[in-house]
Amino acid sequence: MKRIYALERWCIDCRRCEVACRAFHSKSCDAVRAYRVEGDDPKNRIWVEGARTVSLALNCRHCADPACVQGCISGAMQKSQATGVVTVDPQRCVGCRTCASLCPFGAVRIEEVTGREIAIKCDLCGERLGEAGEPHCVAVCPNRALVYVESEGGSHE
Amino acid sequence: MSERIVDYLVIGNSAAGVTAAEQIRANDAQGSVLIVGREPYAVYGRPLISYLIAGKTTRERLGWKDSGFYDRIGIECLVGPDAEVVSLDPEAHTATLADGSVVTYGKCLLATGSIPFTPPIKGLDGRENVHTFFTLDDAEGVWEDARRARQEADAEGRSARAVVIGSGMIGLKAAEAIAGYVDEVCVFELADRILPAALDAQGSELLQRLLDRHGIMCRPGLSVQEACGDGRRATSVILTNGERTPCDFIVAAVGARPNSKLAVDAGAQQGRGLVCGPDLQTSLPDVYAAGDLVQVTDVLTGDERPLALWPNAVEQGACAGRYMAGAPDAEPFDGAFAVNAVDFFETSLLTAGVINPPEGAGYETLARQERDSYVKFVMKDGRLCGYILLNRPDNAGVYTALIKDKTELSAFPEEAFLDMPLENLDFSRDDRWKRLHAFYPSCLDDRGWKETR
Repeated sequence: MKRIYALERWCIDCRRCEVACRAFHSKSCDAVRAYRVEGDDPKNRIWVEGARTVSLALNCRHCADPACVQGCISGAMQKSQATGVVTVDPQRCVGCRTCASLCPFGAVRIEEVTGREIAIKCDLCGERLGEAGEPHCVAVCPNRALVYVESEGGSHE
Repeated sequence: MSERIVDYLVIGNSAAGVTAAEQIRANDAQGSVLIVGREPYAVYGRPLISYLIAGKTTRERLGWKDSGFYDRIGIECLVGPDAEVVSLDPEAHTATLADGSVVTYGKCLLATGSIPFTPPIKGLDGRENVHTFFTLDDAEGVWEDARRARQEADAEGRSARAVVIGSGMIGLKAAEAIAGYVDEVCVFELADRILPAALDAQGSELLQRLLDRHGIMCRPGLSVQEACGDGRRATSVILTNGERTPCDFIVAAVGARPNSKLAVDAGAQQGRGLVCGPDLQTSLPDVYAAGDLVQVTDVLTGDERPLALWPNAVEQGACAGRYMAGAPDAEPFDGAFAVNAVDFFETSLLTAGVINPPEGAGYETLARQERDSYVKFVMKDGRLCGYILLNRPDNAGVYTALIKDKTELSAFPEEAFLDMPLENLDFSRDDRWKRLHAFYPSCLDDRGWKETR
């Protein structure tokens, strides 16, 4: 499967990845509307760890054997056997935080969307759960600090 | 009386059993697999029952797998009271079901979980408004009584009150769910603080205060001595201090114990749970076990006890399934440690590992309470071995990973524990690269460039 990798030596802490992610995952798919009109509901699924001498964009690693999937009490968090993509079904998630307590990277967060606390994580910008798309964070990164490349293993194929 | 012959018999249709069946199928495409379960439902997220009553999920969304799951992976599933296994004959490799039919198996997995344990309390048995809180049927009963309590209290112009006996995870999640229906939930706990297994004194005290705001009144150090009422319903309880409290219904959530009777009756070795080898085989040949009923070695303390947590059941189920199917990549199960994630209303509580370290055993602790949050880290020999994160959930999993990987802590800034959540940037550059770049293409360097040589 293709995975997103962050290359911290190129990261300039601009957080355009966060903006692009939040915009894509909003109703309008528009950055200004996502931030100014849609309130707190659109959520970015990539987070820049920064404000230091180095910075780094963090999102789901789509692990070979994901602890979040193993721990999920509702069956909402799943790794697609076909694609290797790990996604969460917002309808079935109850926001119990088991995934967040098990993800070694802090790449799943529990946030409130339309009044419900649910797990928020990278879905590789797929149209449907378990499908990969063309990640918008990678597309907007001005310094190629995010790459989307064919990885070597860990996807059940 | 029907007779069946299967290659694999899985007893128990929940997290451990279903995960094992999946792994058996993944590693043995041909072998016949039969899952039997006592509850008349497809596998569902058992811990979701409190969320169901609280309106945070629906009956349709309880399913842990999609509706076509069993057929799709080609496993047979028999559920309901008739399908409950009543005895096991490991010599003959047979199991007898409640309807009298006999299943002959090649290998068998016991994944029957745990069952509620209630110490004898006078007047509690046989009441129709006294419930345990383990299964979907339990939850339906609690739900019905909660709604009924609301209606009756409104009609009579009084307040509705529920009693919960026991303040473990199950008791408190039940209390949270019920609190949406009744005016007051009284939680009684024999220990001197609530959630005694997953919190320390300070954390319990804070959580108790947070629950109180939602009409959940916890009374540690007190339990129910007697349930009273003329008919089939209990209408009040007498406490161990002699006080009497009226109630509309009761949830008994004192404790749980391994549901291992089948194996024990067949001669399996039992400690605090079933004793299993690293392949999760019990002391009986071709009888494996996974989930709440297994005695697990706590990798942090060496203690042997069952670890009744959903993720643990899934991990053990996967492990047992691989061994049963003879998978070449099966890896031994060599212990675990507890990680608990739970939420009550707007409060989040995440705990892991050792949280109440014994005095004089070389443990160090860092702790801080600020308003409604409480954070505690327990270290030993320069390594993290436990935490409490009450209302500060950020990056909890990163701390869990430190415990799991036995990471040396000296390189981390002290602020990364009490002040700030630990970030990936707090790891050394090399460690960070290794952690975040699994399966990175070998043709690229750390600049993302193809090597030109």
